[in-house]
Amino acid sequence: MIPVLEWLDVYRSFQRGVPVLNGVSISIAEGEVVGLLGRNGAGKTTLINIAMGMLFPERGSVRLFGLSPMEEPVAVKKRVGYVSEDQIIPSFPTIGEILALHRSLFPQWDESMERDLLDRFSLSLRSRIQFLSKGQARQVALLCAVCHRPELLILDEPAGGLDPAARREFLETSVRLLNREGTTILFSSHNMTDVERIASRVVLLDAGKVRLDRQLDNIREGTCMAIIPRASAPDPGVIAGMPGCLRVREAFDEWHVVVEGSRDSVQERLTAVLGHNGIRCVALPLEELFIEFLGGDRL
Amino acid sequence: MQIVINPSDELPLYRQIMRQIVESIAGGRLKSGDKLASHRELSEQLVIAPLTVKKAYDELEALGYIETQRGRGTFVCHRLPRVNRADQRDQIQLAAMKLLSQAYLAGLRLSEVTAILKDADREITGGARKDKESA
Repeated sequence: MIPVLEWLDVYRSFQRGVPVLNGVSISIAEGEVVGLLGRNGAGKTTLINIAMGMLFPERGSVRLFGLSPMEEPVAVKKRVGYVSEDQIIPSFPTIGEILALHRSLFPQWDESMERDLLDRFSLSLRSRIQFLSKGQARQVALLCAVCHRPELLILDEPAGGLDPAARREFLETSVRLLNREGTTILFSSHNMTDVERIASRVVLLDAGKVRLDRQLDNIREGTCMAIIPRASAPDPGVIAGMPGCLRVREAFDEWHVVVEGSRDSVQERLTAVLGHNGIRCVALPLEELFIEFLGGDRL
Repeated sequence: MQIVINPSDELPLYRQIMRQIVESIAGGRLKSGDKLASHRELSEQLVIAPLTVKKAYDELEALGYIETQRGRGTFVCHRLPRVNRADQRDQIQLAAMKLLSQAYLAGLRLSEVTAILKDADREITGGARKDKESA
């Protein structure tokens, strides 16, 4: 089956010799919900802009439904919904006029979904754009992005700057879309709880490369963190060389090691190599995983 | 029944759902033939991806706790998976010893552990099995 969205060895820089994306390959299948994570400046927005055909990759390629967003923008955009990080709503006087434009652009525009969402978000067609709050502007942007029933929804920091209630509403709407349309979703976020709620897969971007690309359940059940006193392992190379070791980080007088395997099995393996020296294995919530992989003092 | 999830719990969401449904069946709050919420209802109620609910239901179906009837919905099975009683007894004995050693190391007395067990029973059964306790 053709992937819904695929980047193949994408390379892009804005200054010569300083790549923002340095050989990124990700392939997303129909029905997946993928959370794109990374620190500020990791290249998330650049990656999304390339998928939307707003930037070209200097090397490599991007395909949506097997099509190039630059060569066939209309065919692609019909099937994609997109909310950007700093959504700028076109300068129309009212919500009603923006929606009228979208209705005329998309023959498949779903008016009952439009009414449903207007109602849900308590938005009025007569509301003036310039007086909308940040949250309301996001809701209008989401409405514009989904009422043509896209097969793929791309959300760049959809909940950035929203209060918890507005964020939850945003998530609820996404879940409804998943249910009704089976939409594939890619979203970038700094909110780990949101990612843990709705993503089935997590891609961690760091310094222009994919650092981790895994099913969320697999992260929960198949990885853990071992905390090893430095005195027990003076040479971190030994730990880093162990099979299944994904990452070693120095934290005060301990090593934090992300390892593949259940807690019990990892504890057993480490004890076999290093002896009983105050080693303990703990579960790794997404927030901790993010910090372990992208935090400072990497080895 | 009310399912509660915690996205940052160390247990994956689908396992949290599975555990609560199995607990409800074990405690008698869900009975054979009872209807469960649909994937869609539950995912919208919990605000999680529908695939996660599907995964939980698929696993429970494979284990023989629930069954999906086309076009009608998902129900608790009439014949729940039969377990080997003798086998289970041994395992429960082991679990009890582990529980007690943990409790004694923490300085709890047997009576306190029994009180904890009774609390857990109320939690799991919601009083649905009172009849059996006196029997």
